[in-house]
Amino acid sequence: MLLSAHNISKAFGSFLAVRDADLTVAEGEIIGLIGPNGAGKSTFFNCLAGDTAPTTGRVLFDGIDVTRYSAEAHARAGIGRTFQVPATFEDMTVLENVMVGAFLRHHHRGAARETALRIIEMTGLARQTAQRARSLGTPVRKRLEIARVLATEPRLMLLDEALAGLTPTELQQAIALVRRIHELGVTLVIVEHIMEVIMTLAQRVLVFNQGHVIAHGKPHEIVANEMVIEAYLGRGHRRRRETP
Amino acid sequence: MKWGLPALAALLLFYPFIFTGPFYWDIGVAFLLAAISASAWNIVGGYAGQVSVGHSMFFGVGAYTPLLFYQLWGLPPVAGVPAGMLVSLCLALAIGMPTFRLRGHYFSMATIAVAELIRIFVGTWELVGAAIGLQGPAVGRGWWDLTFRSELPYYYIFLGVLAIVLYTTFEVERSRFGYYLRAIKAGERAARSLGVPVRATKLKALMLSALFTSVAGSLYSIKTGFVDPESGFGILVSVQMVIVAALGGAGTLFGPLIGALILVPLQTATNTWFGGGGSGLTYILYGGIIVLLARFEPGGMHEWWQRVAPRLMRRWHAA
Repeated sequence: MLLSAHNISKAFGSFLAVRDADLTVAEGEIIGLIGPNGAGKSTFFNCLAGDTAPTTGRVLFDGIDVTRYSAEAHARAGIGRTFQVPATFEDMTVLENVMVGAFLRHHHRGAARETALRIIEMTGLARQTAQRARSLGTPVRKRLEIARVLATEPRLMLLDEALAGLTPTELQQAIALVRRIHELGVTLVIVEHIMEVIMTLAQRVLVFNQGHVIAHGKPHEIVANEMVIEAYLGRGHRRRRETP
Repeated sequence: MKWGLPALAALLLFYPFIFTGPFYWDIGVAFLLAAISASAWNIVGGYAGQVSVGHSMFFGVGAYTPLLFYQLWGLPPVAGVPAGMLVSLCLALAIGMPTFRLRGHYFSMATIAVAELIRIFVGTWELVGAAIGLQGPAVGRGWWDLTFRSELPYYYIFLGVLAIVLYTTFEVERSRFGYYLRAIKAGERAARSLGVPVRATKLKALMLSALFTSVAGSLYSIKTGFVDPESGFGILVSVQMVIVAALGGAGTLFGPLIGALILVPLQTATNTWFGGGGSGLTYILYGGIIVLLARFEPGGMHEWWQRVAPRLMRRWHAA
């Protein structure tokens, strides 16, 4: 397994945001994490990315215990992540943003620039290369975040709602981009609300509700799962369905 | 503008021959000292966005050490410059290690507190002259004492140091270290997620900044031949660095130069017009500049110029 997280719990004071969550990801897989708002997906995600340490549990990456690793050590190990709200470097250009990522593996400016330009081309940002991030719209900034992480040459990419808020055309382009990244050999874990993305891309899906993993399986199994439907639509939905 | 840099270099090089006389040379030296100090502050405060309001601690250490070497052992003050740099480096390390756990305003407040503590301590320490301070050689025993009657030699020494500081900053700006500093300024969390070693990078920036600030302090005390707790470690020393850099454009190569170019003549003018009676005016001037910058141009004059220059060029071409 490339990544395995066991019994992950995260408490904020007396509030338990994630309870005993497990996840295993094989090399080359695409895993989807779904769940209603406040279900604990992002907190779990942050535990995997080293942004916050879990209260209990262990995270193993390629057999190495990275539970207490810092976020930068996670990046060095090969785990890259995007943020729910794009966290681009506003006063830097698209090229400079991607170069910050590229500097992780290429210490010389020339090599980092070359890598960054190649990734910018691949992610369809070539026209915006010299533009400052602050001048870009949200869809382009999300793409820039993906490009920046890609420049760190990760083995595992964690995408936190990276495709949310896109128009149908942009969504199709973004799905195609994720596929291209996957073809490069990058393993992906995707937190997403858009079921179209999950159904199209994910090979396995984990469903979170109130800090628990309530279901996991193949996408078509998940959409038919009664617990998942109830978590998303409430108990009333089941009653309505049962009433003739 | 391709001709901008050579024109600026030529102007600085020939300034003493264009504006002749001790009055203008004195303004020139004050401008260079302000530009060196603010450029040094700019490395950590401007590029990395870690707003230190206690940089006077490094300036003071740099100012005291040369005169202490002279007072204690009769050595030329310049011999104390490397020692000042070394002490400043150690101080930066000691301050940076715990304070870089703090973020934003907390870091700024911590630097003010440490600088003030050092100022109070130095003001009561007999070895360094307590509240009276230290004096350098009244008359130079040789050229190595760097005690000149004319301002002209100081002007060119200061200009040489400014060139070194600017060249170093230019190299930092283009390097991985420089990219990391700007990324940290823009967002520490995102920078971390890309593998940027945030604390180590900030610490390196503070050390480099402290090194040059210490040199600025040494230049000041060697030139004036005197330093006391207020002129070395006073809060106004720190505030001036921040304002000069912010006025010109913090986080830009030439921002501190532009800031010094505006502020130093303005200070000289207020001092000339109001004499000793207007000694408190400096505080009012600084306060006014902070308010105006925060309200109208937080990016400083450099950003303003970048916005205005293309429009002017378009109009010029249209005409």
